[in-house]
Amino acid sequence: MFGFGQPKLSSEEKIAAVENEIKVMTEMQTRMAKICSQKCLDRTYREGELSKGEASCLDRCSVKFFEAHTTISEQLQKEQAAKGGMMGR
Amino acid sequence: MDGLTNSEQQILADRIQKWQMKQFMGIFGNLVDSCFTSCVDDFQSKALSGRETGCLSRCVSKWMATNERMGERFAELNAAEMERQQRGGR
Repeated sequence: MFGFGQPKLSSEEKIAAVENEIKVMTEMQTRMAKICSQKCLDRTYREGELSKGEASCLDRCSVKFFEAHTTISEQLQKEQAAKGGMMGR
Repeated sequence: MDGLTNSEQQILADRIQKWQMKQFMGIFGNLVDSCFTSCVDDFQSKALSGRETGCLSRCVSKWMATNERMGERFAELNAAEMERQQRGGR
């Protein structure tokens, strides 16, 4: 996302870039935890600990969620690039 | 971090902290909603029953364990993704 070889940024821009990155990542993690718990946890709460099944469901769910994120973002970028060639980039 | 000076890092840390406070209120609200929905469904009495209280408590414990686990997985996945991007790989 943000990274290499950028033109000189003002101090404020640099802070804002890192700030944004942290927020985006934190939000993604929060969403992932929320959605995967909805998909994986037994809602009767007879146990206060994660069962083996729940834990491995969460692990797989996190990988899939991440992959879905990447897949969707790549597709959007591709379609955006195909459509908006005139907008530069 | 990412070439920020000390004072810039301080500004960043302050902003993130304020933001996290706000986030926390939302996350806390979601937790209450979710555990309440799962655990409390009997309105014959206005006091939480022992069963409901136990369920709420297990719900919170499980939520914490889930968050911890998802945090670890997220960090791993993110590190792998960064590496993939740096290699310019597809």
